[in-house]
Amino acid sequence: MGSTLAARLARDRHDVVIVESDRERLQGLADDLDVQVVAGNGTAVEVLRQAGIEECDVLFACTSSDEANMVVALMGSALFKVPRVVARLRDRSHEASFAAIAQRLGGEHVCINPDQAAVEKILSLLPVPGAVDVVTFLDGRLIIAGFPIPAGSDFEGLLLSHLRLLFPSPPVLAVAIRRGEESFVPHGEDEFRAGDLAYFAIDPHELGNVLKLLGVRRGSEERVMIAGASRIGLELAQRLEARHEDVTLFEDDLAVAEAAAAQLKRTVVVRGQATDREVLEEEGVERASAFVACTDDSSLNVMACLLARRLGAARAFALVDNPALTRMVGELGIDAVVSPRLLTVGLAVQFVRRGRVRAAAALMEDLIELVEVEVESASRLVGPTLKELGLPRGTLVAALLRGKNLIVPAGGDRILVGDRALLIATTARAAELDAFVGGQ
Amino acid sequence: MNRRFDLHLLGWLLLVVAALLLVPLMAAVAFEDAPGPFVSALLLAGVAGGGLVALTPTKERSLRARDGFLVVSGAWAVTSAVGALPYLLSGSLGPVDALFESVSGFTTTGSTVIADVSALPRSLLLWRAMTQWLGGMGIILFTIAILPLLGIGGMQLFKAEVPGPVADKVRPRLAATARTLWGLYVGFTAAQWLALMLCGLSWFDALCHALTTLATGGFSTRNGSVGEFASPAVEWVVIAFMLAAGINFVLHYKALTGRWSDVVRDVELRYFLAVVGGAAVLLFAVLWDGGKGVHDTARAALFQTVSIVTTTGYVSADFELWPPAAQFLLVALMLFGGMSGSTGGGPKSLRILLALRSLRATVHRFIHPHAVVPVKYHGQVVSDGVLSGVAAFLTAYVLLAGGAAAVVTAAGYDFATGVSASLTAIGNVGPGLGAVGAMDNFSHFPAVVKLLLSACMLLGRLEIFTVLVLFSRQFWRH
Repeated sequence: MGSTLAARLARDRHDVVIVESDRERLQGLADDLDVQVVAGNGTAVEVLRQAGIEECDVLFACTSSDEANMVVALMGSALFKVPRVVARLRDRSHEASFAAIAQRLGGEHVCINPDQAAVEKILSLLPVPGAVDVVTFLDGRLIIAGFPIPAGSDFEGLLLSHLRLLFPSPPVLAVAIRRGEESFVPHGEDEFRAGDLAYFAIDPHELGNVLKLLGVRRGSEERVMIAGASRIGLELAQRLEARHEDVTLFEDDLAVAEAAAAQLKRTVVVRGQATDREVLEEEGVERASAFVACTDDSSLNVMACLLARRLGAARAFALVDNPALTRMVGELGIDAVVSPRLLTVGLAVQFVRRGRVRAAAALMEDLIELVEVEVESASRLVGPTLKELGLPRGTLVAALLRGKNLIVPAGGDRILVGDRALLIATTARAAELDAFVGGQ
Repeated sequence: MNRRFDLHLLGWLLLVVAALLLVPLMAAVAFEDAPGPFVSALLLAGVAGGGLVALTPTKERSLRARDGFLVVSGAWAVTSAVGALPYLLSGSLGPVDALFESVSGFTTTGSTVIADVSALPRSLLLWRAMTQWLGGMGIILFTIAILPLLGIGGMQLFKAEVPGPVADKVRPRLAATARTLWGLYVGFTAAQWLALMLCGLSWFDALCHALTTLATGGFSTRNGSVGEFASPAVEWVVIAFMLAAGINFVLHYKALTGRWSDVVRDVELRYFLAVVGGAAVLLFAVLWDGGKGVHDTARAALFQTVSIVTTTGYVSADFELWPPAAQFLLVALMLFGGMSGSTGGGPKSLRILLALRSLRATVHRFIHPHAVVPVKYHGQVVSDGVLSGVAAFLTAYVLLAGGAAAVVTAAGYDFATGVSASLTAIGNVGPGLGAVGAMDNFSHFPAVVKLLLSACMLLGRLEIFTVLVLFSRQFWRH
């Protein structure tokens, strides 16, 4: 996670120092990224001092060990008075302990839990059938959902500007499109093509109509199958059964399965491998509204999802933390790939920018960026109409929340102080858009 | 096994019983009954006990689980034998009848062979009630302290498997736990004594019924049991205290110390109350004919339901005149019993609850062949050891009941009498149906049947296996 985060922060023109004890990895990082590297163990005071921790604004502790992260983060805060520290913690009890200690130290402390982030992502995906990615903004008033445009659907060949005719109010807006290898923020003159992956900003009430036009059928009941009683699988099952949904959890290891069954109330815990066709069929995978593979093995997850889809599961989500695999998967027929690593990086970046930014997310493997900001009086966004504003190509003001009104602005609209704006940019243009928001 | 020390303990127990015989002896003097039988019984018990204690001096004072089986079974056998002496020596009953009555007392059963109870001297009636009360006290000690150690029929749940809500020990030390729970038992008895006197019973009737209610015994001073008082108030008081006696005494302790949330969340309590409530409503529906008032019918239904489920065995109405469905319901209720940790008999609601959950899990496994389906109790997984213990207990229970019923019917009695007599004996309930119905007694049975039913009462009271292991050859090796 550390290297991905460093890459993101470096691209955002932050000064990044990485402390890493593995010299070989360190060399690789120094070669690939525009960052400073320090060899050594991050839990050592001397090493941290050498890395310049005294001048540091934000400290990220994101090794694979919860304990080490806690020590580093608390040390940074207690010994070096780092104003803002982030610890990557997976265990809930560690989070609680960390928060309890942090409370006595002063300064800002945040824990980021990759498993938690993955669970939230899957939970947001589940209620939007057909979507490969879902993010909510503006207090849940707006969802950004990505759908593949199927050949022969009403969207094929549709000009983006005509969306307004189809959905006059509340409007639906296409905010990002991926066509082949290319990802872009589209304009009114662009048209949808079959095979596109299109992200729409949708008022949740309008979701049904969009799905209908896309030809996505909504199942009557939710039957979720989860493969792997990992932390994520178990937590997901617990959250779903609390909502009274039908959940089946597959786990190959008997001891792990028994432990999961002990903790779950209504979920059916089945002992068997996620790729075991017989077991999947026995539990009725063909009637599953969603199949979520979240074992610790990314490749196994992909295999299980492919099998589940072949056997008739309506949707399949795979947990994949391997970037190379992530890019392949879309072409294989898996509906969505959830990467705890990328999600965590997203949360970390969000934390660095926090202040102006209320929420942020990245789409399409980090090529498109969404930020929700509260518009301040100093911002350059305030005043002129959107047309006059001259936002750079590849950026977009997707929606405004003014009081209780959700507005999808057109060229003649103005942004007012106090509005909450959802801004979209290709990552390359994100810094330019930031300048508009800040007003320098 | 430390047999010498086991006998030493039984000797001391005899001395305690001898001392307790002083109470009816003093009552006999006060009531101007013949004190002779009590004096003789006291002397016999004292000499036997003193002799046993003197003959088995021992320094080795450690006890193992095996000693537990022997001491507990021996304790009930010995006290029952001594308890029979006053009936025998007073000439009221023959030897077999005297033993039956005494066993029925100490096992808190309440079946009687005495046709005209009210004709007995009052000192003997007091002793009869005392045997049940002492039996109840013994059962509290047995279930709280000894049963978990023996691990019988899944009751080891109380030892360590379920932390929190059902943890058996209210105090860290066993002796303190027993004292606390006995204190509650005595307190409840005193409260009921007072309540019954306020309802208009004589102090003697009130005392005897208080003694036999808290023990879920059911011996009455009247031939017509509680029904003979024809007082709704008395019946309501008895219903309340029967229910209290059928509830785990640890929960009473928690309630009194303000840990209400533990009590309210107790799964077994909820289940127990659901069974009582559901059965009472069913019984009311069967009995309701518009003739008697709603209050009378409801009270009769609730009284008999609580009396049978808690295995007290009082009778407020001649249920043999009730419709067959009502009678069947009462016999079926004998298969439930009180809560674990109460003075009630029967298979215990905890075992039935676990058996039902394990049944549900089994059905679930048929639908999902590869599913991992744990049986849970209070959110914790119940181990297979506990579940098989429960299954073994229920199997033994049913086999024993079937066997005993077969013998009773072989003696020439009808089906209802046979089944209900054996269930009432093993469950320590009291009355049955047919020839042992609400207004009948057990005196007409041949001696063999009386001895068999006495054995059933002991087996049932001591959770079957405590006694059963004594018949295993392995037990007596080394």
